[in-house]
Amino acid sequence: MIEPKLISYLFMAVAGALSLIATYLAVIEKDLVKAVIYSAIQSTAYTILFYLLMAPDIALVYIPVAVGLYPAVVFFLIKKTERFEESG
Amino acid sequence: MRFLKVRNMDINGFLFVFMLSTIMLNLVISLYGVFARPSLIKKIIALTILSDSGNVLAIAVGFRDWPSGWSPSTPPVLNVTSPKASDVVSFARVAVDPLPQALVLTAVVIGLAVMLFLVFLTLQIYRLYGTTDVRKVAKLKG
Repeated sequence: MIEPKLISYLFMAVAGALSLIATYLAVIEKDLVKAVIYSAIQSTAYTILFYLLMAPDIALVYIPVAVGLYPAVVFFLIKKTERFEESG
Repeated sequence: MRFLKVRNMDINGFLFVFMLSTIMLNLVISLYGVFARPSLIKKIIALTILSDSGNVLAIAVGFRDWPSGWSPSTPPVLNVTSPKASDVVSFARVAVDPLPQALVLTAVVIGLAVMLFLVFLTLQIYRLYGTTDVRKVAKLKG
């Protein structure tokens, strides 16, 4: 019999691993639009973490800010400036 | 049965520590992004990831249900309309610490304001210098 607590910690570990992969891809990606999308995936993993760490109010604030507003503003900035980061 | 419970507890502890270490690795990777990537937009993305990782660590400090086994925890929401003293006592026994959550709620909003300021700073740099690459901006004269 699996305890419910074990499932909760398992989801925490999976969300942490997902956020690690998404952060790595967001930092090394040259196409800034893809980097913003990876950043939104990382924010979704953090929302799961906030919910499992017993902070549902933070999760409610964090979803529209980090998945909606941040990518929208950065997309606006990319549209006004440059899309690709030059390698150096 | 007792052995199984202790073993489960160890698995829980391993998973929790694994989650904390991934968040700390996120801090390291996003610091690399802030310092070493040339594009200003990439720096903004890495800075938001950095502040959010700090927020998750702050929430984890207030989380009372660490696998070493303190007490079962619930969100800090008192769900009785007219609480008696016993309700408050039992609430304080099971709820997580609400102070880091209040701080993080403030930090999310302030981080949004700082990010908007940096976005318009970057836009103005692009309008003046025609690039968002910090190496090119550093080479400009005058």
